[in-house]
Amino acid sequence: MEYVIHLIILINIYIILTTSSNLLVGLTNLLSLGQAALYGIGAYLSVLALMVFHWPLIPTLLFSMIITSLLSLLLAWPSLRLKGDYFVLATLGFQLIVFTILYNWVSVTRGPYGIPGIPNPKLFGDIEISGLWAFFVLSLVLVVVVVFLFHNLIHSPFGRALKGIRDDELSMQALGKNVTALKIQAFVISSAFIAISGFLYATYVSYIDPTSFNLDESIFILSALIVGGLGNIRGPVIGALVVILLPEALRFIGLPDSVAANIRQIIYGLALIVLMRFRPQGIAGNYAIK
Amino acid sequence: MIWQFIVNGVITGMIYGVVALGFALVYNTTRIFHIAYAAIYMVAPYLLMFLFKGVGIPLLFSVILAMSGTVVIGMAVELLVYTPLIRHKSSSSVIMVSSIGAMIIIINVVALFAGNETKVINTEIAKSLKIGQVLITYTQLIQFVSSLLLFIAFFAFLKFSRFGIQTRAYRDDATLSAVLGLNTLRLRRILYILSSLFAGIGSCLIAWDVGMDPYVGMPMLLNAMVALIIGGIGRFEAPVLGGVLIGILQALVVYFTSARWQDAVTFTLLIIFLLFRPQGILGEKIRRV
Repeated sequence: MEYVIHLIILINIYIILTTSSNLLVGLTNLLSLGQAALYGIGAYLSVLALMVFHWPLIPTLLFSMIITSLLSLLLAWPSLRLKGDYFVLATLGFQLIVFTILYNWVSVTRGPYGIPGIPNPKLFGDIEISGLWAFFVLSLVLVVVVVFLFHNLIHSPFGRALKGIRDDELSMQALGKNVTALKIQAFVISSAFIAISGFLYATYVSYIDPTSFNLDESIFILSALIVGGLGNIRGPVIGALVVILLPEALRFIGLPDSVAANIRQIIYGLALIVLMRFRPQGIAGNYAIK
Repeated sequence: MIWQFIVNGVITGMIYGVVALGFALVYNTTRIFHIAYAAIYMVAPYLLMFLFKGVGIPLLFSVILAMSGTVVIGMAVELLVYTPLIRHKSSSSVIMVSSIGAMIIIINVVALFAGNETKVINTEIAKSLKIGQVLITYTQLIQFVSSLLLFIAFFAFLKFSRFGIQTRAYRDDATLSAVLGLNTLRLRRILYILSSLFAGIGSCLIAWDVGMDPYVGMPMLLNAMVALIIGGIGRFEAPVLGGVLIGILQALVVYFTSARWQDAVTFTLLIIFLLFRPQGILGEKIRRV
């Protein structure tokens, strides 16, 4: 049972990651490879607030969300001036720079040694979020909030404007929409959501190091999203379910751990190729990247 | 002392140039963001190690066989992954995502058979010669001479042969060259063969010096992409220039600060170029909608 709860918490973390990436990739057609960098920034900022400032849960979460979205402007500002492959490259550059800083600025981030012993966040007064069930409830609440906000966002005028940019940017400009401002807003909201998963990951695992937030993780988040599907609410949820449950399923087949990691990756790779050819919108999405 | 770093930088930079040129052969002409190139790069020294140390074939034949194997894998990616998507008129992002898929598969198949740890092919301590104050190992000398010969051969080929003219025509306007009766499909295949070959040569030259693990491809591909961007997309001389510049820059970063900040400086340079001179050093400004 505890094992199932653990998996659900992980799935919840990934649902937040894929849903917020969906806002960029699926709604606005911005294929960003800098998602893990923002995830990492959110996690490290949460740790800063918890361990240095000794703040309780809600201020920590808000602090992490706000500063991460401000820092995401550093990604949005240069990359949004570029199109197509160049945009992807700029986000890739951001990802690598952030990783290098997290890894090498040892005096602040402890670099490759990572930060162990992250304390449990306190809700009010002395009520501590500790143990599996508390984190289960916390992650469930956060996922429900994120998915609910995302649901409203898709159906709001703002969401429709983003879809407009995705489908025909030139027409949106002709209609007098400030396309760049809308894209920056999408970036900021998406990063605020990603910071939530960074917070959850850091407090739940209670240890972080930069390798959890490298380029491979960015690619992994993007694959999860693309496998699940783009442009709606179901897609990212299914993507997160698939990427977390597939390795567990492989473990039950009885593959040894040394081989399982590679086999899993090969299956992801095959899934990406096959889906891109026959179903570019993913398993449950309603939009194919272009 | 600083000259030692610059010489090292130039030699590393020339290999970046070789690898970037291979990437540019595909990107400049077909506009495919060939991320699987990272995996093709990584495969070559593993094939070499298997043939040379595992089977025991003499070095020269091992190299030739390893290069052929690398080309076969490159062609497999082109035929099994890209061609169906292009027939299907998929968008460039779709092709890029499939390319990531192909990269993941190749890397993990190699990791499955050869393990995740670093492997070395050449275990001897390299002899070196001293020119003035600068120390050059024989491996570096081989790297320098082979890259230089490769550049000379390639650019002569590009300038004077029929294939070179066709390649430049295809790069300038793919549709028009097809309309004028150029066999673009065949040309594409040749470009993929050359591209994989360049990846293999660059890769084996590096691996002979420092060894390899299944994940060496991506960092090298990133350096190659930066070399291509700062050199300028379009001209084939550009990635070579970009590669040498990055090599020198990284060596200077090591000299003045430490090797830890190589990547940060390289990618900051990338973003500066993307922002202020997206056409690169040698490129011409093109307006596109």
